[in-house]
Amino acid sequence: MTVNVERPIAVRRKLAAKPFSRADRLFFGVAKAAAFSAIVIVLLILAFLLSRSASTFAEQGIIDFIFGSTWDASLSPIKMQLWPMLWGSILISLIGTVLAVPMAISIAYFIEFMAPKRVAKVATLVVDLMAAIPSIVLGLWGAFVFTDVAAGWSKQLNALFGFIPIFENNSDNFLRSPFIAGLVVTVMIVPIIASITREIFSQMDRDIINASLALGGNRESTLRKVILPTAGGGVVGGILLGLGRALGETVAILYVLNLVFDTNWYQILESKGGSIASMIISKFGEAGPEEVGGLMAAGVVLFVFTLIINALASYIVAKAQPWRK
Amino acid sequence: MEKIIDLSPVARPVGRESAPWSRIQLKTRVAVAFASVVPAILGLTVLLLTGIDFMAMLFAVFLPIQVIAAALVGVLVYGRRGVLEGLLVVVTIFCASFIVVLLGSVLWSVIANGSQALSWQFIGQNNYYIKPNTSLEYGGVGHAIIGSLLIVGTSTLVTVPMGLATAVYLTETQGKTKGLIRTLLQAMSGLPSVVSGLFIYAAFIASGITTYAGWTGSLALIPLMLPTVARVSEEALRLVPQELRNGALALGAPAWRAFMLVTLPAARSGMVTAVLLGIARVIGETAPLVLTTFAADRTNLNLFGGAMASLPTYLFGFISMGFDESIQRAWGAALVIMILVAILFTTARLASRTRTTARK
Repeated sequence: MTVNVERPIAVRRKLAAKPFSRADRLFFGVAKAAAFSAIVIVLLILAFLLSRSASTFAEQGIIDFIFGSTWDASLSPIKMQLWPMLWGSILISLIGTVLAVPMAISIAYFIEFMAPKRVAKVATLVVDLMAAIPSIVLGLWGAFVFTDVAAGWSKQLNALFGFIPIFENNSDNFLRSPFIAGLVVTVMIVPIIASITREIFSQMDRDIINASLALGGNRESTLRKVILPTAGGGVVGGILLGLGRALGETVAILYVLNLVFDTNWYQILESKGGSIASMIISKFGEAGPEEVGGLMAAGVVLFVFTLIINALASYIVAKAQPWRK
Repeated sequence: MEKIIDLSPVARPVGRESAPWSRIQLKTRVAVAFASVVPAILGLTVLLLTGIDFMAMLFAVFLPIQVIAAALVGVLVYGRRGVLEGLLVVVTIFCASFIVVLLGSVLWSVIANGSQALSWQFIGQNNYYIKPNTSLEYGGVGHAIIGSLLIVGTSTLVTVPMGLATAVYLTETQGKTKGLIRTLLQAMSGLPSVVSGLFIYAAFIASGITTYAGWTGSLALIPLMLPTVARVSEEALRLVPQELRNGALALGAPAWRAFMLVTLPAARSGMVTAVLLGIARVIGETAPLVLTTFAADRTNLNLFGGAMASLPTYLFGFISMGFDESIQRAWGAALVIMILVAILFTTARLASRTRTTARK
C-alpha cells in the first residue's frame, strides 16, 4: 500500500485566532493577565490575612486556636480559641442547607417540569430577584419580623418533640437560636440552589424524559429514575455552593443569633450558638490590635474552609456540564 | 378521473390531534379540582371553628388531608403507582409555596415599613445633627446614596474591564488553564464578604497606608463583583455566533480588531446585563464596607479623604441603635436598596430582551 505524499489526507482545520501582530499579542496578553488576576487575588487575600495573623497562630498554637473554646480578651495573656464559632457556623449552615434543599429542588422542578410557560418565566425572574436580596435586608427582616414567628414555631417543636435531644430546650428562651439563624440562612440560599438546579434541569436532554413518559412512567418515577440520576451531580454542586454561601454569611445572622463562646453541639432551639463571620464583624469595633490579629486568624480559617467547599462544588458543577468545555 | 396520490411522507396530525397526551379526561380534571379545593376548605373550617394555631392547622389537618386526596387522585389516574405521584405533586407545591411565602414576607415587610419612612427629604438630606431618636421629619440617606454610588461606581470602573478581559480569555483563546480559571471564579463567587473586607483592612488600613476611606471600600468590593461580571459576560460572548468571528478573521482583521469591531458590539446587550448584575451583587454588601469605609453622617464626595457613608453601613448603624425612629430609618434605607436592586434587575432584563428579539 502506498501513501500519496503530495496530497495528504485533508484534516478539518480548526479556525483559531492566533496572535500575528504586536497589537494582537498585547490584546491576548491583557486577557491572560486579567484571567490570572483571579488567582492573584485569592493568593493576595491569603497572604495578607496570614501576615496579620501569624503572631496569633504562633502565640495561641494552631490546634488550640481552632479546637479550643475560650475567647477572652480581658485575660492576660489574651486567650483566643475559635471552635464554638466554627462549629456554630457548620451547624447553622447544615440546618439551613437541610431545610433549603427540598424547597430549592421543588421550586426548580416546579418551574421546569410542572408550571405553564408563562408562570415559569415569572417564577424564574422572581427566583433571580430573590437571590439579589442583600443579606442586611434579610437581617433586618429576621430581627424585627421573623424572630417572633420562628420562636413560636420553636416552642411548638419543643412541646411536641422535646424528648428528642436536638429539640431540647431547658430554658424558656427560644429567641436567637441556631434554628432561627438556620431558617434565615435557608431563605437566603434557596434562590441560589434553586437557580443552579433549574439551569441544570433546563439543559437536560428532553428526549430521555419524554422516553420515560412514553414508556409509561409517571412524574414521580421519571424524577426518581431519570431526572435525578442524570442531573444529580450538578444539583449536588449547587447544594455545596449554597452551603459555602451559608458558611460565609455575616450580617443576616448577626441579629438573630446569640453568639456565645460555649460550644452548642446539637441543641438547636437553645438561645446560644456561633458563627465565625458574624463574630468577626461584632467584635471588630472594639477589638484591640492583638484581638484584631485573632479576628484575622478567624478570617483565615473561614476563608480556607469556604474556599475548599466552593472549589469542590464548582468542580462538581463543571463536571456535570461537559458541554460547557 | 385522475386519482391524486399524496407522495409526502406520512402526514403528521395537526392541532389537538398532534398531542394526544395533552388531552385530559374530564374525570381527571374534576378529581384534581376536588383534591385542590376540598382540603383547603376543610382546613379553613377547622381553623375557624376551633381557633387553633395556623401552623398547627397546616401540619395537623390540612397537609394529611391534602396528601390523602392527592394520593387518591393518583390512584384514579395512574392506578396503584399513582400514590407516589400524588405525594410528589403535593410536596413540590407545598415546599415551593412555603419559601415563596417567606420571601414574600421579606418583600412585604420592607415595602410596608420602609414606605412609612420614605419621603423626598429622606432621600435627599444627609444625616448631620441627627440623633438616633430624632423624628423622621429631619435627615435622611442622601449622603449614603451618594457614597454608595461613588464606592460602587469606582469598583465597577475597575471590575468591568477586568471581568471582560477574563471573559475574553475564557471564550476567545485556546489557553490550557481555562478550566482552572473557571473553577476558581466560581469558587470566588462564594468568597465570604467579611473576608474580602478583612483583606483590604489588613493590606491598607492596618498597615497604616491610609485611614478609613471610600476607595478602600471600592477595593473590597472587587473580589465579590469580579466573578459575577466575568461569568455573565462569558455567557454573553459565547452567544455570539462563531461565523461572525470567522468572517472578520477571514477578511484579514487582526484578532483584537475582530473582537472590538465585531464580537463586542454583537454582545453589547449581554455586556450591559453583566455590568448591571455585578452592581446588583455588591450594592447591598455590608460587612466589607463596615470594615473599610466605616460610617459618616455627612456628605463626602472625596473618595480619598475620610470615612464615607453608604446605604448598607447606614442600615447597619441604625439597626443596632434600638430606638423606634432609628429602626424606621433602617427600614427606609432597606427599601431604598431594594428599589435600586429592582431598577438594576429590570434594566438588565430589558437589555437582554432586546438581544433575543434582535436575533430573530
